Amino acid sequence: MISVRTLRKHYTVFKRPPGLRAAFASLFRRTPTTVKAVDGISFEIEAGARVGFLGPNGAGKTTTLKVLSGLLFPSSGEVRVDGHLPQRREDAFLKKIMLVMGQKQQLLWDLPPSETFALNRAIYEVPEPEYRRRLAELTELLELQDLVNKPTRTLSLGERMKCELAAALIHGPKVLFLDEPTIGLDVSMQATIRRFIRRYNEETGATLLLTSHYMDDVAALCPRVIVIDKGTLSYDGQLDALVRRMRPEKRVVLRLDRPAETRALEGMGKVVSSDPAQVVLQVAQDKVSLTVARALATLSVRDLTVEDPPLEEVMSELFSQNRTRTESAA
Amino acid sequence: MRTLVRYFRLLQVQVRSSVLLGMQYRADFLIDGAVSLFWTATALVPLIVVFHGRPGVAGWSFPEALVVVGWFTLLEAILEGAISPSLTAVVEHIRKGTLDFVLLKPADAQFLVSTARFEPWRSTNLLTALAIWTVAFVRLGRWPPPLGLLAALVLLGSATLLLYSLWILTVSAAFYVVKVDNLTNLFNSVFDAARWPVQVFRGVLRWVFTLVIPLALMTTYPAEAMLGRLSPLALVGSVVGACAFAWLSRRVWLGSLARYASASS
Amino acid sequence: MSARSTVRALPTLMRVGFAEAIAYRAEMLVWVLSTTMPLIMLALWSAVAADAPVGRFDQKDFVGYFLATFIVRQLTGAWLAWQLSFEVRTGTLAMRLLRPLHPMVSYGVENLAALPLRLVVALPVAILALLLVGSRALPRSPALWAVWALAILGGWLITFLANGIIGCLALWTGSSIKVMDVWLVAFMVFSGYLVPVELFPGAMRTVVAWLPFRYQIGFPVEVMTSAYDLPGALVMLARQWAFVLALFLLLQLVWRRGLRRFAAYGG
Repeated sequence: MISVRTLRKHYTVFKRPPGLRAAFASLFRRTPTTVKAVDGISFEIEAGARVGFLGPNGAGKTTTLKVLSGLLFPSSGEVRVDGHLPQRREDAFLKKIMLVMGQKQQLLWDLPPSETFALNRAIYEVPEPEYRRRLAELTELLELQDLVNKPTRTLSLGERMKCELAAALIHGPKVLFLDEPTIGLDVSMQATIRRFIRRYNEETGATLLLTSHYMDDVAALCPRVIVIDKGTLSYDGQLDALVRRMRPEKRVVLRLDRPAETRALEGMGKVVSSDPAQVVLQVAQDKVSLTVARALATLSVRDLTVEDPPLEEVMSELFSQNRTRTESAA
Repeated sequence: MRTLVRYFRLLQVQVRSSVLLGMQYRADFLIDGAVSLFWTATALVPLIVVFHGRPGVAGWSFPEALVVVGWFTLLEAILEGAISPSLTAVVEHIRKGTLDFVLLKPADAQFLVSTARFEPWRSTNLLTALAIWTVAFVRLGRWPPPLGLLAALVLLGSATLLLYSLWILTVSAAFYVVKVDNLTNLFNSVFDAARWPVQVFRGVLRWVFTLVIPLALMTTYPAEAMLGRLSPLALVGSVVGACAFAWLSRRVWLGSLARYASASS
Repeated sequence: MSARSTVRALPTLMRVGFAEAIAYRAEMLVWVLSTTMPLIMLALWSAVAADAPVGRFDQKDFVGYFLATFIVRQLTGAWLAWQLSFEVRTGTLAMRLLRPLHPMVSYGVENLAALPLRLVVALPVAILALLLVGSRALPRSPALWAVWALAILGGWLITFLANGIIGCLALWTGSSIKVMDVWLVAFMVFSGYLVPVELFPGAMRTVVAWLPFRYQIGFPVEVMTSAYDLPGALVMLARQWAFVLALFLLLQLVWRRGLRRFAAYGG
């Protein structure tokens, strides 16, 4: 469905050093520098997949999404979405896709969302029965009944995001690009949006490409992740495989009735955190059962869980690894 | 054919949005109307001063010059009601970065952007233009010849097309500048010269206002048509010129869009 | 913030303001092009005066007058009303209020920081005027030069203060752009920007004498083109600065009241 081959996106920025003389000089002669937003990435995504796009700020994620949706032209490389060349911006192509940007909105500000829905219906030429059916579904799934007839400016951020999603899906796109869709939303709204997106993908078989800084989004939605850093591909594969590779250890969380001695704990594994009520140990995969047995035998354990280390930690480790790698290479 | 129908239907939807929006801000239109009237009235002062105690300037008498002013006022009405509101919205889009949503839609960006907002109730100047013409022709002691009126109607179409194209050129500049507030200023300062008959300007400026920024085709020629002294050559030239200008402005718009897509991140 | 520390901060503020003004080349071009109205008026009026002088103005007089108008406009321009209206509407005024510097001072400095740029544009025009019109283009005696300098300062102050007052209205109504539009229309006609005030019909002239507009453009231009002798110029100067004082007091009042309302309603 989506095919990207050695995509490069460079653009020119003019340097402007501080100081009066430099400012004046920049009137007549400017020093250009090339920013390599995306510098040779390749990947393939099959129809119906849900893929997460991860990377630190400025890595090139949003740029890639914009190239895939035809908003930006690649500097070099080949990009194809469902057989189309996005940069041609054919009507047929545009009707199949949608880009949802968490920090910007397409809803008309002073009018109710229902007007934006009607406008989109006309622009995307959605047949009347299909429009009505889909609108009913979306209204029910996202609980929009009370929201769609109030002016957009009177809605809260979470309510706006729900309506924004509905407006984006009115024409039933086959490919959905989501750029930080849950940014700024409270926890329960994030969960609602995640559930909804997943359901849309499962019911319609649409392909999903999501960027987010919230690891919970990625963990909940994307079995496969592509990690981009400084415009190049860092990892492309299953999320749990990444976690296992970066942190081949598990976390054992113990809730104790009586505090335990530090010496006893250290014998069982690396102590990540320890307070009177709860102890977290980091233990190698193969030693987990041994540790669990010892803990149950020697400590007064009230509750015990075995978990993966948090995704945030894995990611920040991955990014800092890349940084040290590029710094040592430089 | 199907495309035409489709775009016509789109136009209907856009107009409906505008009407709904306008009903939200009713007080605004009263103020806008009053400001327009005030502007038109005070802008007559220089004209009165120029013609005070003289029979004519550059071959135009006071009532004849009033006809030109009437056309200027009419075009201002079209500008305020149909052109400025939507194109100002583009400038806002560019500033907030939401132009991307327009570009994502499977419809021509220029069309979407030009039909986004209509505010017909701001066109109080329509009535003012009619009033000015009435005064002018009463003073002249005659009425416009029917053929002249027909030619004037044709020129109304070409003048509107020219006005629209000029605005598209101005807005295309919005892709290159970061702070866009001065653009409206620029447009208005240049357009303001159209209230004078083009023959008043001499030399280079007259050529500029006829061929480069064709203000003459927008107000002077239609006025001459109404006064029954427009040459057929000028009429044909105006229509052809308007179409050529429209084609040029479309090319510039498309070029600016392409550059926007290549240059931003 | 104390006056002394304000003065100490001024050089940096000016420098940064200037750098901001020239940060965007395309903007500068647009702005320069948008102030060309006097030149169009020049073309117009010299065509009118080609057959016979209008009042006391012959062609050369018009050339001198409108080139002077261009220069004076460059030197006395202010856009505070739009800036203030924008900052009130978007809430960024709060940022300015947090700084230990009186907002009006910071606005003033930003405005003035663009002055060198405007001088760069005005200077060639001044030289052009000298070449075309001769000594009639500029004030004739050192005393009149001094009067002219004060008239320019007064003109800028009136423009700035009026902009400020209208901008402050946004603290009540959310956006005062429309009021500014009305002011601008009146300004263009009654200040002598489009037509020399002298040429107005009698009844209008009495009205205009009581309005501040003519002291923004008309008066400095007239001093520049030697329309007055020294005593006459001084009388007009006094009138101009009376307006400056009145507007200054009005701005203080409006600003304080408006700020109280802004703080009460959160803007």
